[in-house]
Amino acid sequence: MLLLDIKNLTIELETADGLVRAVDRVSLSLREGETRGLVGESGSGKSLIAKAIVGVLNRRWLVTADRFHWLGKDLLRLTPEQRRQVIGRDIAMIYQEPSRSLDPTAVIGDQLEEAIPDHLLTGPWWRRNALRRKKAIGLLHKVGVRDHQRVLQSYPYQLSEGICQKVMIAMAIAKNPKLLIADEPTTALESTTQAQLFRLLASFNQLKGMSILLISHELESVARYTQKLSVLYCGQLVEAGETSQVLQTPLHPYTDALIKSVPEFQPDLAPKTPLYALPGSIPTLQHVPIGCRLGPRCPNARKECVKTPALERQQSHYFSCHFPLTTKGS
Amino acid sequence: MTRYLLRRLFLMAFVFLALSLLAFSLSYLFPGDIVQNLSGLRQIDDSQRQQLISYYQLDHNILQQYLAFLTRIAHGDWGQSFASQQPLLQEIQLLLPATLELASYALLLSFVIGIPLGIVAAFKPDSFVGKSISAIAMVGYSLPIFWWGLLLIMFFSLALGLLPSAGRIGVLYEIPHSSGFMLYDILLADIDYRSEALYNALQHLLLPTIVLATFPTTVMISFVRDAMLNVWEQNYIKTARAKGLNRGQVLYRHGLRNALLPVIRQIGLQFSTLITLAMLTEVIFSWPGIGRWLIDSIYQRNYPAIQAGLLVISTMVITINMLTEILHAFFNPLARRG
Repeated sequence: MLLLDIKNLTIELETADGLVRAVDRVSLSLREGETRGLVGESGSGKSLIAKAIVGVLNRRWLVTADRFHWLGKDLLRLTPEQRRQVIGRDIAMIYQEPSRSLDPTAVIGDQLEEAIPDHLLTGPWWRRNALRRKKAIGLLHKVGVRDHQRVLQSYPYQLSEGICQKVMIAMAIAKNPKLLIADEPTTALESTTQAQLFRLLASFNQLKGMSILLISHELESVARYTQKLSVLYCGQLVEAGETSQVLQTPLHPYTDALIKSVPEFQPDLAPKTPLYALPGSIPTLQHVPIGCRLGPRCPNARKECVKTPALERQQSHYFSCHFPLTTKGS
Repeated sequence: MTRYLLRRLFLMAFVFLALSLLAFSLSYLFPGDIVQNLSGLRQIDDSQRQQLISYYQLDHNILQQYLAFLTRIAHGDWGQSFASQQPLLQEIQLLLPATLELASYALLLSFVIGIPLGIVAAFKPDSFVGKSISAIAMVGYSLPIFWWGLLLIMFFSLALGLLPSAGRIGVLYEIPHSSGFMLYDILLADIDYRSEALYNALQHLLLPTIVLATFPTTVMISFVRDAMLNVWEQNYIKTARAKGLNRGQVLYRHGLRNALLPVIRQIGLQFSTLITLAMLTEVIFSWPGIGRWLIDSIYQRNYPAIQAGLLVISTMVITINMLTEILHAFFNPLARRG
């Protein structure tokens, strides 16, 4: 069943020099129980898309889409209050900097308990508080925090980033969401904790059938823990499909460059050879090229690339390029 | 927390040491005779002078003079006023409550009006309401209060005749002095015209309170507005929204506490401004408080009184500052760290 179905999502920012289009006609869909990775460099609009889904973007941002469906309901047509109810019930999100996503002046216990919705507590109202506390402790155990007593009584600044992120995940899964959006959940963490967290997310997906949208710029970890993959460049969707397929036979030059820049994907790379990288750097949002935004940096660019390529499809593999790579390495 | 308190108190001890040194040195720095400045007596004959010199230990070294000064302050012998030839401490005890009463009502008013308006202005920054609140705050902030006070007197007292223009209470009412706080005294007093007196005192209080509250209210509005706007951008607010809490719940559980914490600190910082403004207000409304008394003393070159006024007001400002700091630390876990 299709949970999330977004077609041609455009996110624009009103600035003094006119509208800046930060996300340009991105389509994204997610089935129940699916894990999808969303990769791209910083500034490619990954977090914007996530925030647009949850509806926590500033008023300055303009969000439009041909279709923005959650379980068949168009989110953009709901009133803010209805939308908050739908999202509050079904979607949870965890952020990049966990310690800044927790209220610095409230103890963890209070923050975790308020994330537990009333309808999940079965019992008379006078036992609500005790049940809530019990459930909070259970949630902490689920995310691998053992000394719950100390953590519940702590303020965020007294805990490490890793524990804070685990608390964030505990808050996110408190309402048994259908979709968990993880926006670069591991950037502030050590590598051992990173692996733990990814395993944790994977286990929720496998045990509870929770869909996960994993946003990251680390291709290796995304490749390991997701089934589907969407690649963004500069606010445009360049390629999407089964993770393994996208990684084995990338059709877009950008995806190809991205894969080649990761040494882990090239076991037979000779020592001390320079890694492959596209010339130039990502343009600023005020000065994006017309047409395909990769144009000036693309090794295969031709005259036609000044027109934005449409999203094309080969079985379950989508790409938007006029001149897709047909054989690997070309 | 205990360590924090100890550190604060330690710091405060140093501040008071510096303050006492300054007050002590004033007797020597003021023009005129030291014995006169210290005692507040105008006419001193020779035998009395000898007695005073040994009492103030002026024949000993400066350190002993300072210690003697501290002992006298501690024992309540603050000298006499040049103007009235009354003991200073007694005069201050009569006057200080009037100032405190006025200042605390003004501060209270500034909270009651400033905080809600600031929150409203933060929630609708682009609407007409939000913009007009900001505009009013800006106007109030730049209003010279002596002019504003005179304007209100001209309108409400002279033109409309609704409110009295001077004093704490009408001359018709005789209120026995107990605490010095007028409203409290009236409520305590055993008199049969209590409600009339209360009404009259409130009428007298209204204009000075409004004038004095103008500045702190506008500061409070813009401060709360900025703090709220800042907090509303933070990630933990987004998290709380994503948890499914509605706007009111997010505001109540996460927004208010984080936005109002810096406000507690603001009270301490605003208090010295408030006292300065209270002096002006007291002069305008002939309010028998310590501010007007101090200004009169400055005009009369009443040096002992200036010294005593400095000691009292500075002690008050420092204490309030310290109390709000401690209160802030008590409510804000982040301030207690380290």
